Amino acid sequence: MPRPRRGRRGRSTTAALTACSALVAGAALTGCGAGRDPGVFTVLNSSTDASYHGWDAATLKRCSAELGLTIEQQSVPAAQVMQKSLRMASSKSLPDVIQFDASEMPTFAEAGGLVDLRSLDLSTKDIPKGIVDFGSYKGTYYGAARTVNTLALFYNKDILKKAGLDVPTTWDEMRQSAKKLTRGSQYGIALSAGGAEDGVFQFAPFMWSNGGDETDLAGPKVAGALDYWKGLIKDRSLSRSTVNWTQADVNDQFMAGNAAMMINGPWQVETLNTKKNLHWGIAQIPVPNTGDASVGPLGGAVLTVPKTEDTGRQKTAAKIIRCMSSEREQITYARNSWMVPANEKAAATWRKEVPELDALADQVATARSRTAKVGARWSSVSLALQSAFQSALTGQSSEAALKKAQSRATSGN
Amino acid sequence: MSTTTATAPAVQRTAVQKRTDPARARRRRRLGQWGFIAPAVVFMLLFFGYPLVRNVVMSFQDFSPSTFFDGKSPFNGADNWSKVFHDDLFGKALWHTIVFTIGSLIGQFGIGLALAAFFTKRFPLNGFLRSLILLPWLVPMVVSGIVWRRILDQDTGVLNSFAEVIGLGGHTPWLTSPGMALFSVIMVNIWIGIPFNMVILYGGLQEIPKELYEASSLDGASAWRTFRSITLPLLKPVITVVLVLGFMSTVKILDLILALTDGGPADSTQTLGTLTYQNSFVQLDFGAGAVVGNVLILISAVFAVFYLRANRSEGK
Amino acid sequence: MADATTTSGRRWGATVAGIVILGVMLFPLYWMINTALQPESGLLEVSPVPDSLDLSGFTSAISEQGGHLLTSLAVALGAVAICLAVAAPAAYGLAQFRLRGSRTIVFGTLITQMVPGIVIANALYSAYVDLGLVNSYFGLMLADASLGIPFAIVLMRSFMVSIPKEVIEAAEADGAGKLRTFVQVVLPMSRNSLITAGLFSFLYAWSDFMFALTLNTTDEVKPVTLGIYQYIGAHVGDWGSVMAASVLSAIPAAVLLVLAQKYIAAGITGGSIK
Repeated sequence: MPRPRRGRRGRSTTAALTACSALVAGAALTGCGAGRDPGVFTVLNSSTDASYHGWDAATLKRCSAELGLTIEQQSVPAAQVMQKSLRMASSKSLPDVIQFDASEMPTFAEAGGLVDLRSLDLSTKDIPKGIVDFGSYKGTYYGAARTVNTLALFYNKDILKKAGLDVPTTWDEMRQSAKKLTRGSQYGIALSAGGAEDGVFQFAPFMWSNGGDETDLAGPKVAGALDYWKGLIKDRSLSRSTVNWTQADVNDQFMAGNAAMMINGPWQVETLNTKKNLHWGIAQIPVPNTGDASVGPLGGAVLTVPKTEDTGRQKTAAKIIRCMSSEREQITYARNSWMVPANEKAAATWRKEVPELDALADQVATARSRTAKVGARWSSVSLALQSAFQSALTGQSSEAALKKAQSRATSGN
Repeated sequence: MSTTTATAPAVQRTAVQKRTDPARARRRRRLGQWGFIAPAVVFMLLFFGYPLVRNVVMSFQDFSPSTFFDGKSPFNGADNWSKVFHDDLFGKALWHTIVFTIGSLIGQFGIGLALAAFFTKRFPLNGFLRSLILLPWLVPMVVSGIVWRRILDQDTGVLNSFAEVIGLGGHTPWLTSPGMALFSVIMVNIWIGIPFNMVILYGGLQEIPKELYEASSLDGASAWRTFRSITLPLLKPVITVVLVLGFMSTVKILDLILALTDGGPADSTQTLGTLTYQNSFVQLDFGAGAVVGNVLILISAVFAVFYLRANRSEGK
Repeated sequence: MADATTTSGRRWGATVAGIVILGVMLFPLYWMINTALQPESGLLEVSPVPDSLDLSGFTSAISEQGGHLLTSLAVALGAVAICLAVAAPAAYGLAQFRLRGSRTIVFGTLITQMVPGIVIANALYSAYVDLGLVNSYFGLMLADASLGIPFAIVLMRSFMVSIPKEVIEAAEADGAGKLRTFVQVVLPMSRNSLITAGLFSFLYAWSDFMFALTLNTTDEVKPVTLGIYQYIGAHVGDWGSVMAASVLSAIPAAVLLVLAQKYIAAGITGGSIK
C-alpha cells in the first residue's frame, strides 16, 4: 500500500538521525554518577598475584573492622600503578591510599600529588632513619613502608653440595663457582639484565659494592661492575638470555634447575617453596674483595596518601595506613611475603622467627635507596643504564656504553 | 547531542509545510541522505580527529606528570621536537621501523600471495585447510607474543631444540642478540600477517575470469608470462589495498614488540611505536611521546599521498 | 584412465603440500596447546607431545579467566553492533548518494588508519572522564567499535557501489523510503560484506588490549587480553595456565571464523576488485 512519499522520507530521516542521537545520548547517560561513597575507602596496589591479593585483603579486613570503615582493594600490574594514578589524578578520582614502588614515589611527589604524612599525624618514632629516608622525598615523609626488601644470592643446596663447593662470598669465588657449576643445560648463575627496572635493580648491588655511583655512570667503578657481568657471560656461566629476563624469569630458571645460583629477592620465596624437592639457601651478594661491604638496593613499596580535595578523607586514609603498617600487620605481612618488617621492633621479632633469612635481614640493614641521590630523575638514569648494560652485554665495550649512558642521563633533565 | 534530537522534528515540520518547493525538497532530500553518513562522520571525528589534533597540540606543550594535577601544560615551542630529534634513539628507532615495515610487508605479501595462488588450485580438503590457516590471525597479539617468546628462547625454546636435532647448531640467540632480535620480530610479524594477505589476495584471484587463463594457455604463454600479463594487472587494485592497509598497521606496531622484546636487547628492536610508548608512559614525558606519534602519522600520510597519486594517474 | 589417476594423484599431492604448509603455520598454536597440557613442565624443555592429558592448567585458567572471557565476548559483540550500525548506513550513503564531500570522507577513513592506537587511547581517556565513560562496558564497546568502523565502511562501500542503481530505483518506485530500501533491499544484498565487516570488527575488538588497559582504572571491565597480561605478571612460573588461558582466548574467535568462513572471501572480493 503506497503512502505519500514525503511523509515516508521525513520518517526515514528522523530514524537515521535518532539512531545517531541515541548513540550520543547513551554516551551522556552513562556519564552520570561519579562521586565518592563516604563510607567506602579504596587502596590501590599492585597485588595482582592471588596470594598477595589475599594477604592484603585480610589486612584490609582487619583494618576495616578496627576503624569501622569499608576498605576496598584495587590491584593493577606494578608497571601500571603510576600511569593509572596519574590518570585518576586528572579525572579527580584518586583512591584514598596508593601503594607505590619506592622508586616511583618521588615522581608522583614531584608532581605535587602526595600529602606529607607527618602533617596527618603519622609518627616515625619507631622507624629506623634509613626506612624513613626510603619513604621521603626532598626531606618530606610521604610514604610509609610496611616491609622492605633487597637482593640476595640464592643457591641450590643440593647442586652446590654435589659439586663440593662453598657458598661464594667474593666476586672471584662466585665467578669460579659459577663456571664449575655450568654443565649441560644447567648454568652456574642466573640474574636479570633485562631492559626494565628489574635489570637496573639487579645491577645496583654490583655497581655499589664496587664503589660505583649512579651520578657518575661513566666512572671506572661502574664499568668494573659491568665488566664483571660480561665475564660471567663470556665464561658461559650466565645465559645470554639474561638480557631478556625479568626477575620472575630468573626465578623460573632457578626453579627449573637451569641455574645453580641466582640473584633475586625474598618475594620469590613464596613461589620457591611451592617446589618441595628444591632445597635452596640464601646468602649475601658476593663483594669484589673480602671485607668489602655488600651494598644492596633497598626495594619495596610505600603507602602514600594522594592529594585530594577532601582533607577529612585524607585523615582517615592516614589512619588506614597507620593500621596497615602497625607492628602486628608488618609482622603478618612479613611472615607471608618473606620480606623484612620496616619497623625496628617488628624486625627483631621477625628475625627470631625466620633465622634462615638472617642474611637477608643483614643485607637490608645496609641497603641503599635508588632515589636517594637522584630523586625523580631516577627514571632517566635507569633507562640510560638499562640501555648501557644491554649494549655492553651484547658486545659493546663497557666504557663506551656507560659514557653514552652518562650523557643520556644528564641530558634527560 | 541536543542539536541532533532537535533537528529531527524540524525536518519533519518542513516536510509538511513546504511540500511544493523543489529547492527545499532537494535540500531536505540531501539532509536525509546525510543522516546516513553523519553518525559515522561524527564517530570518526571524535575517535580519530580529536586525538589527532590533540596529539599535534600536545607535541608543542610541556606536558609532565604535574599537568595531571594542575592541568597546566604551557606551550614550549619546538622544545619537544628538538629534544626528540637530538636523541640518538630516534634515528635508531626510525631505521628499525623502516626495516621492520619493509621486511614484514615483503614477507607477508610474498608468502600470502604464494599461498593464495596455491589455494586457487582444486584439490581435496582445500576449503578446510584454507580456513584453518587463518587461525594465527585470530589470536590476540599479546598472546602470540608470549607463545613466540617461549618458542624462540635460546636455551629451552623448541625452535633451537629442533635445530639441534636436525644438526643446525641449536644455540641461535633469536631474541637475545641485538643483531638477531629485529629479524626474529619481523619473522613473527610475518607469521601474523600471512592470513590477512592470503584471504584478500585469494579473493582477488578468484575474481579473475577463468577464460583469460584458458585463452592464455591456448596461446602457449608461460606461467610467468601469464602471471605478469594477466594476474598482476587484474589483481592490482587488491594488491594496493593489501599493501596500504598492511603498511599502516605495520608501521605503528607496538604490542607485539612489547610482548616479545620490550624494545631490547640494547634497543635493537626499538621502533617509533615503542618509542612513543616509552616516552609517554615510562619517562612520563608526554610531549616527547606526542612528537614521535606525530612523526609516525606523518610517515603514513606521505605514503597515503603517494598511493592516491598513483591511483589517480591510473584512473585517467 | 591413466590420465585420471595422475590428475587425482597430483591433486592429493597438493593436499599433502597444503597439510605441510598448514603444519608450519599452525605449529606455534599447537605448541601453545601442548604447553597448556603440561602444566608441570615449568621451564624444562616441553616434550613434543603431552604424555598424559593434564587439564589442571585449563581448570585454573577457566576459574580465573572465565569471567574475563565473558566480558570480552560482551564487549566484542557490542562493538560489532555499534560498528555495523554506524558503518553500514555510511557505506551505503557514500556508495550511492553522490553527495559532495563523499570523496573527502572516504579519504578521511584512510587517515584514521594512520593514527597510532596509543595516541587515540591517550587522548580518549580525558574525553572519557568528562563523559563518565571510564570503567564502563559501553565506553569500551564504543572505543573498540572505532577500531573496526573505518575498515567496515571501506569494505561495505566498495561492495555497495556495485549494487545496480536500477534495483534501488525499483524499490523506491514501489514507494519504499530511503531507510526501508536500505533495510529491506540493500542490507540483504550486502550480506556477505556485512558478515565480513562484522567479523573483522569482532576480531579487532576481541584482541584489543590498548583501550582495555587505558580506559579502565578499576577491575570492573576486564577483557581477557588484559586478564592474560596480568596473569603473566603474576604467574610466570605457571606456563601451563598462561598457555591454557591463551588457548581459551583464541577459541571463540576461531569458532566464529569457521562459521563465517564461506562469506568472507566473497565479502572481501565483492568489493575490493571494483
